[in-house]
Amino acid sequence: MSILSGKGITKTYGGSEVLHAVDLELEPNKIYGLIGRNGAGKTTLLSILTAQNPATAGSVTLNGEPVWENPEALSRLCFSRELGLLGGSSASAIKVKEYLQVAETFFPHWDKEMAEHLIKLFHLDIKKRISKLSRGMQSMVTIIVALASKAEFTFLDEPVAGLDVVAREKFYRLLLAEYEESGRTFVVSTHIIEEAADVFEEVILVNEGRIMLKENTQELLDRCYHVSGHADAVAAVCEGLEVRHEERLGRSRGATVLLAPGQSLPERADVTVQKMSLQKVFVALCGEEEEESV
Amino acid sequence: MNEILTQEKSIYIQIKEMIEDDILRDVLLEEERVPSTNELARLYAINPATAAKGVNLLVDEEILYKKRGIGMFVAAGAKARIANKRRERFYDDYIRSLMAEAASLGITKAELVRMIAEAPEDGEPG
Repeated sequence: MSILSGKGITKTYGGSEVLHAVDLELEPNKIYGLIGRNGAGKTTLLSILTAQNPATAGSVTLNGEPVWENPEALSRLCFSRELGLLGGSSASAIKVKEYLQVAETFFPHWDKEMAEHLIKLFHLDIKKRISKLSRGMQSMVTIIVALASKAEFTFLDEPVAGLDVVAREKFYRLLLAEYEESGRTFVVSTHIIEEAADVFEEVILVNEGRIMLKENTQELLDRCYHVSGHADAVAAVCEGLEVRHEERLGRSRGATVLLAPGQSLPERADVTVQKMSLQKVFVALCGEEEEESV
Repeated sequence: MNEILTQEKSIYIQIKEMIEDDILRDVLLEEERVPSTNELARLYAINPATAAKGVNLLVDEEILYKKRGIGMFVAAGAKARIANKRRERFYDDYIRSLMAEAASLGITKAELVRMIAEAPEDGEPG
């Protein structure tokens, strides 16, 4: 059973630190969701974990062996990056076919049959240049490289960006089928949180260069509640509990409550208690506090 | 099965309740195999660990049982057990919220009792 482990990962770009001593351990046979706001450090973290980008400080190891310049470890890692970010670079000038050929030589366990099947499934024109593809089609290439790489630890950066809802659902089903069959570990970063939440066994929340939490998705959702009602009643209910986000309007107040193990919400008929979606939890944890309306 | 998942309840609780509903409605019969967690995961596009969590709750309640190497089956007497459990929960699930809403509207207990007495049976609109 392989463990991919990052310790004290720090990254500085031109004097500004974008990752602050991040510790992260990834277990085999899990689907992780990586969520965070733009600029939180998700892509930098993924590129460092897969040794595509050197860390300023800290280490990444696979079963205790450093992954940097380690061909054996690298053969078991795949970082399928967001192609839209290549911009006008030379990489985007090559054709899809050539890009997939590079992937085939790069990943020793490459599954050509699967790649061809997915090309047909997505109706992808492989004679086109990467730069000429729509955002959605670029995402399909990201997905094909990730799945066909057969790498034990596979990282997908924004694989559903620009895909329509039918294609997104298709992707999640493909991912689950491959996961079920292979027991590979997947880390998927996405901004479309709502629909992906049920696919992730664990969620990793990155905020301002730090991992704010890494937790089983269902357990996290089971301890997050939105409480609303008369401000006094809400205040009484929240007494002694961790409140992370509040909205007020006149006498009315809404609050996001994170229960610690063993805690529960006192029962009161005069407040509304609602379960929250992962997206709402994310906004409550990472959103800026609103100015109090006067 | 084949219901649509909502956000209001934990996914694994919904999986559990859907299987219970199917047993109550004879969609799944006693001593019959229920879909595997992988089949459930595929149907709903959810993580198999989440589907397993729902199924395992039903094993704990002796509504499903595991046949090694074959899969999960509906236990004998499961239907009666689910109905009993829901009857016991009826007070918490329905009466409590009914009383709370009545209290906030100033409806007295006597009025509530009268409303129930006058309501038509089997949920037909009056």
